[in-house]
Amino acid sequence: MFPQFGATAETLSKASTMVFRIGTDAHLYDDPDDVSIAPLLDSKFDSEKCEALKRLLAQIAQGFDVSNFFPQVVKNVASQSLEVKKLVYLYLLHYAEKRPNEALLSINCFQKDLGDPNPLVRAWALRTMAGIRLHVIAPLVLVAVGKCARDPSVYVRKCAANALPKLHDLRQEEHTSAVEEIVGILLNDHSPGVVGAAAAAFASVCPYNLSLIGRNYRKLCEILPDVEEWGQIVLIGILLRYVIARHGLVKESIMLSLHCTESSHSEKDGSDVDFRLLKVPIDMSGTCDSEFVNMVSKCYIESPDEYLSRSSYTNRVSFELNGTHFTSKTNDDVKILLYCTSPLLWSNNSAVVLSAAGVHWVMAPKEDIKRIVKPLLFILRSSNASKYVVLCNIQVFAKAMPSLFAPYYEDLFICSSDSYQIKGLKLEILSSIATDSSISSIFKEFQDYIRDPDRRFAADTIAAIGLCAQRLPNMAYSCVDGLLALTKEDFLTKDFGSGDQEAGVLIQAIMSIKSIIKQDPPSHEKVIIQLVSSLDSIKVPAARAMIIWMVGEYSSLGEIIPRMLTTVLKYLAWCFTSEALETKLQILNTASKVLLCATGEDLWTFKKVFSYLVELAECDLNYDVRDRARLLKKLPSCNLGSQGPEEGTNGLNEKNVLHVVAKCIFGRQTREVKAESNNYRFYLPGSLSQIVLHAAPGYEPLPKPCSLPLDDLNVPEGTHAVEKGPDYSGTDDHGTSSGPLDEESASDYDSQHSITGSSGSGRSDDNEFTSEENDNADPLIQISDVGNASENQNGVSQSSPANLGELMSNRALESWLEEQPGSSNPGISEQSQVCKSSARISIRDVGRQVKPKSYSLLDPANGNGLKVDYSFSSEISSISPLLVCIEVFFKNCSSETIMEITLVDEESTRALDSADQAAAVNESSMKSYDNVPTLVPMEEIPSLEPGQTTRRLLQVRFHHHLLPLKLALFCNGKKLPIKLRPDIGYFVKPLPMDVEAFTDEESHLPGMFEYTRSCTFTDHIGELNKESGDGLLIKDKFLAICESLALKMLSNANLCLVSVDMPIAANLDDASGLRLRFSCEILSSLIPCLITITVQGKCCDPLNLFIKVNCEETVFGLNLMNRIVNFLVEPALF
Amino acid sequence: MLQCIFLLSDSGEVMLEKQLTGHRVDRSICDWFWDHAISQGDAFKSQPVIASPTHYLFQVVREGITFLACTQVEMPPLMGIEFLCRVADVLSDYLGGLNEDVIKDNFVIVYELLDEMIDNGFPLTTEPNILREMIAPPNIVSKVLSVVTGNSSNVSDTLPGATGSCVPWRAADPKYANNEVYVDLVEEMDAVINRDGVLVKCEIYGEVQVNSHLSGLPDLTLSFANPSILDDVRFHPCVRFRPWESHQILSFVPPDGEFKLMSYRVKKLKSTPIYVKPQLTSDAGKCRVNVLVGIRNDPGKTIDSITVQFQLPPCILSADLTSNHGTVNILSNKICSWSINRIPKDKAPSLSGTLVLESELDRLHVFPTFRVGFRIMGVALSGLQIDKLDLRTVPNRLYKGFRALTRAGEFEVRS
Repeated sequence: MFPQFGATAETLSKASTMVFRIGTDAHLYDDPDDVSIAPLLDSKFDSEKCEALKRLLAQIAQGFDVSNFFPQVVKNVASQSLEVKKLVYLYLLHYAEKRPNEALLSINCFQKDLGDPNPLVRAWALRTMAGIRLHVIAPLVLVAVGKCARDPSVYVRKCAANALPKLHDLRQEEHTSAVEEIVGILLNDHSPGVVGAAAAAFASVCPYNLSLIGRNYRKLCEILPDVEEWGQIVLIGILLRYVIARHGLVKESIMLSLHCTESSHSEKDGSDVDFRLLKVPIDMSGTCDSEFVNMVSKCYIESPDEYLSRSSYTNRVSFELNGTHFTSKTNDDVKILLYCTSPLLWSNNSAVVLSAAGVHWVMAPKEDIKRIVKPLLFILRSSNASKYVVLCNIQVFAKAMPSLFAPYYEDLFICSSDSYQIKGLKLEILSSIATDSSISSIFKEFQDYIRDPDRRFAADTIAAIGLCAQRLPNMAYSCVDGLLALTKEDFLTKDFGSGDQEAGVLIQAIMSIKSIIKQDPPSHEKVIIQLVSSLDSIKVPAARAMIIWMVGEYSSLGEIIPRMLTTVLKYLAWCFTSEALETKLQILNTASKVLLCATGEDLWTFKKVFSYLVELAECDLNYDVRDRARLLKKLPSCNLGSQGPEEGTNGLNEKNVLHVVAKCIFGRQTREVKAESNNYRFYLPGSLSQIVLHAAPGYEPLPKPCSLPLDDLNVPEGTHAVEKGPDYSGTDDHGTSSGPLDEESASDYDSQHSITGSSGSGRSDDNEFTSEENDNADPLIQISDVGNASENQNGVSQSSPANLGELMSNRALESWLEEQPGSSNPGISEQSQVCKSSARISIRDVGRQVKPKSYSLLDPANGNGLKVDYSFSSEISSISPLLVCIEVFFKNCSSETIMEITLVDEESTRALDSADQAAAVNESSMKSYDNVPTLVPMEEIPSLEPGQTTRRLLQVRFHHHLLPLKLALFCNGKKLPIKLRPDIGYFVKPLPMDVEAFTDEESHLPGMFEYTRSCTFTDHIGELNKESGDGLLIKDKFLAICESLALKMLSNANLCLVSVDMPIAANLDDASGLRLRFSCEILSSLIPCLITITVQGKCCDPLNLFIKVNCEETVFGLNLMNRIVNFLVEPALF
Repeated sequence: MLQCIFLLSDSGEVMLEKQLTGHRVDRSICDWFWDHAISQGDAFKSQPVIASPTHYLFQVVREGITFLACTQVEMPPLMGIEFLCRVADVLSDYLGGLNEDVIKDNFVIVYELLDEMIDNGFPLTTEPNILREMIAPPNIVSKVLSVVTGNSSNVSDTLPGATGSCVPWRAADPKYANNEVYVDLVEEMDAVINRDGVLVKCEIYGEVQVNSHLSGLPDLTLSFANPSILDDVRFHPCVRFRPWESHQILSFVPPDGEFKLMSYRVKKLKSTPIYVKPQLTSDAGKCRVNVLVGIRNDPGKTIDSITVQFQLPPCILSADLTSNHGTVNILSNKICSWSINRIPKDKAPSLSGTLVLESELDRLHVFPTFRVGFRIMGVALSGLQIDKLDLRTVPNRLYKGFRALTRAGEFEVRS
C-alpha cells in the first residue's frame, strides 16, 4: 500500500546494521576487491598495507585464488609492524607451496627474525619458515629448529617442537636422525608445555622409537599432570605403548582376565594356554563376557593385516598370549603410570579423560577399573558431540564387562534432547548392562520410550527389549507379554495413512517376539497361538509374513498348534490372493512345511489346501510367486501322492530323493547362530577408528607385549636396531603361529635403522617411499593383505598369472622395505622372503591379459587365400640364445585345400636343399653361436583345409633389429617371398629378480649406461572411462593405470615385471610417483637390462612417462628404449 | 592431526577456511558435506564424526555455525571435537555471540585467533586469558579508534609472560587496586519424571565459577562443608590433584578473570522444587490437555523464569491452548511454549485446551515430553556449601563473595 514506507524500513534496518558494523572489517569481507590492492601493498603506510592484506585474506576466506599477489606480499615480510607481519605470514603459509621460488625470497627475513630479541617474533618466524614446506630450505629449517629447541623462551621451544612434524613431513631421510635427536632433547625439557608439544612431535615423527621414551619414562610420568591438556592426550598414549612394549600386559587386568585361574600353574612352564576352553567366571567385580574380552584384547594388539590373515585362516589361532608376556600390577612402571593418569580422570577436557580411561582399561587391575566409570559417565553431561564419541567407547566397555556399568543404568536413560544416534547407543548399552535387579526399572523406562513421538526410536526400543529378554531368560515371559499387548494396540493394527512408521514399530515387535521364542520355543507355545489368532487384525505384510513363518516353523510344536493347523491353513488359503508378495511366498513355504510334517487324517486336507495354493500361485502376477509355486509343486510330490502319472521304480527313487531335498530345505535345521560380535573389529579406546569402525590410516594397534628388549635402552640408536630383529626371533620363534608376529614387530623396529643407515646407498628411491609409509600421512591408499606370497616371487611376467592386485598394508610394505638382505638367521630370512614378496603392490591377472601384438606376414589376397600372421612369443629358444621365437598362424581363407606349406630362409633355399640343411644346422648350432641359421626350419604343414588354422613355432635369428628378414613361403608348390620384421622388444628374455637386486644392479649402471626419455601415455584413459567413472575408489584408478601400463609393456616386449610402487601423494588424482620396474636380459649376450618407468601427471589426463633404461650394452639399450617409447605412445586398439 | 578448519554458515556457505598443514584440503569437501546434510537432514547434522570418501570430518554446531575440521589420519576424535568446542567458546567470547555476520565482520580476528590456537594441526594456545593478551578482542574503543585514525592493531607486540611460566593459564602479574574474588555455585537440575508421575532420576550438575581479580600470584584454597555429597568432579587445569585426593580441598592458582574452577555432580536427589502434572485424555479425534504447575518443595527463595515447553506430536492437526497465568505460544515447528515466570500466590497456574488429531486417528498413542525451565537465585539445591576460601598471602584489601544459583537442566516430565 505504501511502498515508500517499506523501503524506508528496509533502508533503516540496513542503516542500523551498518552502524553496528562500523569499525569492523565487514566491508573488507563483503567487497574485498573494490579497490585495487596492488598499490596498497606497495604503500609506505602500515595501515594501508594492513588493509590490502586483509582484503587478500578475505578473498582467501571466500575461496578465491589470490596467489598472483605473492611477490608483492613477500616483500612486506620485512615490515616492522607485527600486525603486518602476522597477516603476511597468514598469506604466505596459504600459498607458499604454490609459489616456491618467490617464497624463497622471504627466507633471509625469517633468518633475521630468528635472531630477534622478541620471542614472539622468533616463534612466528620459525613457525612460518617451517610451514612453507620447501625442500630446498629444509636444512636451514633444521638448523633453525635445532637452535630454537635450546631457546630460553618456553614458547619458542614449544614452537620448535611443533615445527618438527612439519620438517618430517618433507621426507628428507638425511635429516631423520637429527630430527629424532631434537625430539629427544625436547622430551627432556623441564617445562611441561614443551614436553606436551614434544610428545606430539614424537608421535608423528618417530612413534616406534620407544627407547627414546624409555630413557625419560619416569620423568614423563611425573610431569604428565602438569602438561597441557592437548599434550596429555598424546603423551598418555605414548606411555601406554611404551609400557606394553617393555613389560607386556598386566596379569591382573581385564585384558588377561581369562587367565586368572590358569595362570598360576601355566606361568611357570610358560606353555600356551588354550583360552577357548576356559570360561572362567570372573569374581571380584562381577562377571565379564570372557570370550568378548578375549576378542577385544586380541584386536587391540594385532594389526589390521594380522586380523585379516587371521580371519582368512579361521582355524589357526595366530595370537596366543603366553606366560612370558605378562607383568604384574606390582611392576613399578605400571604402577606409576596408573598413579599419574588417575587424577587425569578429573580433567575438564573430555579427550584427556577418555585417554586416561583407556590406559586404565588396558592396564589397571580388574578391581581398579571401576574408577573410570563415573568420569566417563560424567562426560555425558558435556557437548552432544563428545557425548556420542564417549558412548561409542562405553558401548565396548559395557559389552566386555557389563558389571562395570550395571549400577549406573540411570545415567544412560534417554532424554528428549538426545540425537537419534545417541538414543540408539544408549539403548544398546542399556540392553547389555541390564541385570535382574535393574531390569524392572529399565523396562518401566522402555515403556515410556515406546510412547515417544519419534517412532523410529520406539521401534529401536522394542528391539532393545528383545535383546534384554535374550540376555535375561527369566524376563522373557514378561517381555513377550508386553510385546504381545503392544501388537494388539489398535494404533498399530489400524491401517491408516501415515502408518509407515507405525508399521516399523509393529514389525520390530514381531521380530523381537520371534527372537525370544527362538531361545526356547516349547515354553512360548501360547504366544505363537495368540499371534496366529491376531493375524486377522495385523495388516502389515512383513509382520504377517513373520507370523506365518512361525506357523510353519513351529507347526509340530506342543499340543494345540498341530490341532489348529487346518483352520490356519484354510484361512491362509482364503486370503492368499489379497496378500502382498512376501506374505504370499511365506504362505507357500508354510504350507509345504506343514505338509511335509503332516501325518494322519489331516494330510488329506493339507494336500488339498496345498494344491489349491499352488494353483493360485501359478497364476499369480508376480513371477517370484509363480516360480516358487512351480518349485514347490515338484518338491513334496511324494506327500502329495499321485499328482501325475508315475513311472515305476524309477519314479519312486526320484520321489525319495525329492523328499530328502524337501526335508533339507524346509525341515527345521538346528543351525547354530554365531554370535554376531565375532565379525566385529575393535580398536583402541578413544581412537578415531573405533568411531568409524575401520582402521583409519595411521592407526596403530598396541605394540606387541614385551617387544622392546631390556638392554635396548642403553644402546645408542642405530646400532640396536640391527641386533634386534634376529635376536628377537631367535629367542621367541618357538611356535609356528607366533613366528610371523615376531617378525612383524621386529621389523617395525628395524625400520628406523635403515632409514638412518642407508641414505646415499643408491636406494634413495626406496627410502623415499619408506619414510612416506612410516609417516602414514597419506590415508588414501587403503591396503589389505593377501597371502599370495610365493607366486609373486618367481617372475611376474606372462608365465605366472593371477597374482596380487592387492595393495599391501603399510606395515607389510614397511617391513618389507626395511628387511635386511644379508640376514644370517635362516629362519628369519625365509620369513622375510615371504614378507617381501607379499608386500609389493602388483597387478592381478596381467599375465592372463597379455596379448602379444600380431603382425601380418602374408595377405590372403597375395597368397592365394592363405593368410599368415605372426606374433613374437615369450618362449625362449632351446637351440640357441640368438634365436627369437615367433608364433606363426596359418589360416586357409580360400575354399580349396592348400597343400605342403612351409617357410624357409630365402638364402638357404637358394644354396642348399632344405632338408639336409636342417639336419646340419641342428648339429652345428649346438656347437657354436657363430653359424646359427637365420631360420630353424619349421615342420611342414602337409595340408590345410578351408577355414582351418594351424600354428607353428618358428625360431629366427634376425641380423638387425630394424632390417626385415626375407623368407620364402612354399605352398601348393609355389614360392611366395615374404618379409619378417623384427622387434627389439623380443631380443630379450625376462630376467626375474626382486627389487633389492634390481636397485643393486641399477646402482652399478650409472652414467653412460643410463638413458632416459619421456613420452606421453593415454591408454589408461579409455580404461578409466570404461570403469563406471565416479564410483571408483582412488586405488582402482591407480590400479587401472598400473595395469594398462604393465599390459602395454608386457604385450610388446619380453620383460619381467619386477615391482610396482604406488605414489604416496596427498592428491587424489595425482598419479605422479607411480613407478614400474621391468627387467630383462639380452638374448644373445645375457647382459641384464633394467627398465624403470616413472609416471607423472593427473590420473585422468594423458600421463607423462619417464623411461629409464640401464644397460651395459649402450646401443642396444638405446634402441630398446626408443622401441618402448614408440609402442607406449601408440594408442591402444580397442 | 587436523588438516583444515572450515566455518560454515547456516545456509552452507563457507565463510572461512584455515589450512593447517601442508596437506591442503580442498573446499569441495564442504560441498560434499552440505549435500549430505541436506539430503539426510538432522541425523547427519548431529553426527559428530563423519567418514567422507576422502577425509574424516569432525563437526560441532554452535548457534547455526558449523565448525568443520578435517583429518586424514588416525587421531583422538575427542581431541578434534574438544578443540572445535574450544574455538567456538573463544570466538563467541571474543565476538559476543556467534552468527554469520559477526564472524564475517571480524574475519581477520578469527584468522589470527585460529593461527594462535593451532599450529600444524596441533593445539597451541587455547587458554582464553592468554589469547586475550595476544590478540585484543574487538571492542567499542578499538572500533571507534579504527574509524577515527584508520589504524587498528589488535595484535600484541609482546609474548604474554604466562606462556613461559609454570602456570600457563595465568597472565603474568596483574595489578589491581581492589583485590576481589567471587565464587558462584551454578547448578542445573536434571530430572526425569515418568508417565506414572514417579521421579525416575534427579540429579544436580553444578559448576563452581570463579571471577578473580587478584594481584600477583595468588594461591587459593577453597573447601566445602560437605564435600562427601559430590558424586564426581572435573577440574580446571589449575587445580592441584593431590590436596583434593587427600582432603577434598581445592588448592589452585587462579587464572585472571572469569573461569570455571570445577564442575561436579550430585546424584539421587529426593525431590524437585516444583511439580508439573500433565494430563492428556483423548477421545473421538480430540485430545484434552491439562497441565498443572505448582511448588512442591519451597526452596525458600523465589522461583522465577518458569517455562514449560513441549513438542506437539506430528499427528496433531491443530491446537487450542489457554492458560490462567502466563502466556502460551505455539511456534511454527509445533513447539508449544508456556512461560509462567513466577507462580502467583493466589492460584495454581494451569494450561488447558484441546488438540485436534488427524482424521484417521481416534485416540492419541504418542505422548509429548514436557521440558521444564526455572531459575532460583541464591540457592544451591544440591546442598553443597562452601566452607571457606583462603588466600595464602592476603593482600591489604580483599573482597570475597559467594553466590549460588540453581536452574533447570534436562528437566523432563513425560505424559
